[in-house]
Amino acid sequence: MASRKLKLKCLDGVTMEVEETVALEWLTIKQSREDNDDDSEVVIPISITSEILLKVIEYSKKHLETTSNSDHQNADSNLKAWDAEFVNVDVNTLYHLIMAANYLNIPCLLDLTCRRVADMITGKKVEEVRKTFNIISDYTPEEEEEMRQQYPWGFE
Amino acid sequence: MEGECFNKLPEGCVSTILSFTSPPEACKYSMVCPLFRAAAESDVVWERFLPADYRHILSRLVLPLMFSSRKELFLGLCSPNLIDGGNKSFKLDKWSGKKSYILSARDLSIAWADDPIYWSWRSTPESRFSQVTELKTMSWVEIDGKIRTQMLSPNTKYGVYLIMKISNRAFGLDLIPSEISVEVSNRTQVCNGTAYLSCRDSKKKEMERLFYGNRIEMLKSRVIEGDGRVPCERGDGWMEIELGDFFNGDQGDEEVKMSLREVKGQHLKGGLIIEGIEVRPKCI
Repeated sequence: MASRKLKLKCLDGVTMEVEETVALEWLTIKQSREDNDDDSEVVIPISITSEILLKVIEYSKKHLETTSNSDHQNADSNLKAWDAEFVNVDVNTLYHLIMAANYLNIPCLLDLTCRRVADMITGKKVEEVRKTFNIISDYTPEEEEEMRQQYPWGFE
Repeated sequence: MEGECFNKLPEGCVSTILSFTSPPEACKYSMVCPLFRAAAESDVVWERFLPADYRHILSRLVLPLMFSSRKELFLGLCSPNLIDGGNKSFKLDKWSGKKSYILSARDLSIAWADDPIYWSWRSTPESRFSQVTELKTMSWVEIDGKIRTQMLSPNTKYGVYLIMKISNRAFGLDLIPSEISVEVSNRTQVCNGTAYLSCRDSKKKEMERLFYGNRIEMLKSRVIEGDGRVPCERGDGWMEIELGDFFNGDQGDEEVKMSLREVKGQHLKGGLIIEGIEVRPKCI
């Protein structure tokens, strides 16, 4: 019993086939299927590279599997460990995963990736955060001082 | 992939990221760049820092709180606010967003407190509540308070503190230690100990030892074992004695009973002024 496959055209020109059950976990795709439900041959363009889409598919497949086998005793903690490993990636990949989760509207993946960034930020100095995440700041030193005055307790 | 610049993240995503940090960090990381600053102001962030039942807490405030954003609401709740008709004071810890309460003397059960022979009630500008109570003269001191764990923040260790003062004309309060306890319902957690209600100068202690001598020793032996802790300063003009602590999990709704008793001494005591009992998160 083969499930229907959807065709998604990635940013890098690669067209990928995704099982419909997986793709419907992504609220953006679900919405667009509800709006144009008939033609399954339609190729849906998405603003994600094939490399990242592969990872997103891997995530959604794993979570779907776990939900359907929820009688397994350690399912919850195994999934948590799997999730932790999944986001243990370089900053660039993390960035693209956040963008993908946001674009495809996958709330649990967005939460997972954002939590990971939050864990990486916690305890760091402001300058370290900029370096780690390639952030350019265009605050003037006067503006920075003004903010430090506004929220002194953030710097205690 | 070349180095991606997080400046290009949508503001909503940065808000989600910051909502997983902490209140002071959300303020600190406003400095990273203008995008972070804008994201840090978002209700998404501060809604997560507020306690889940903040709407219910707002409905209990004596004076309404004005706010135009969740951040303003959070900061407003970090100052003490009277709730429940003025019987309690509520506050959020600005570092963690955890809840703390002070139960006023009126909110406690104090044995014989309604009888003006034993306890007198009065207003004082030093109190955050409309009234405090002072022990005039009595041999039986029994002060009980209770709070439901559902009112508190989950997964938090809480300390319980009796807020009090000793008046200049106090007597008999520390001849023998008082028995203190904090108990979570069904005795799932029990914390017992002893406390001395004042730490007066050694000369007075010597005099009392001369007068009462063996009697003190005999009475002390009736009291349970404990470390005999003493009051310490709070920084708001009052003293406090830690009655005990407990861990609030994330399941169920238990009753926490807190008490201080000096009922074994049989000697008269007076001059103890009660402001209330504070239940606040304890740093580990």
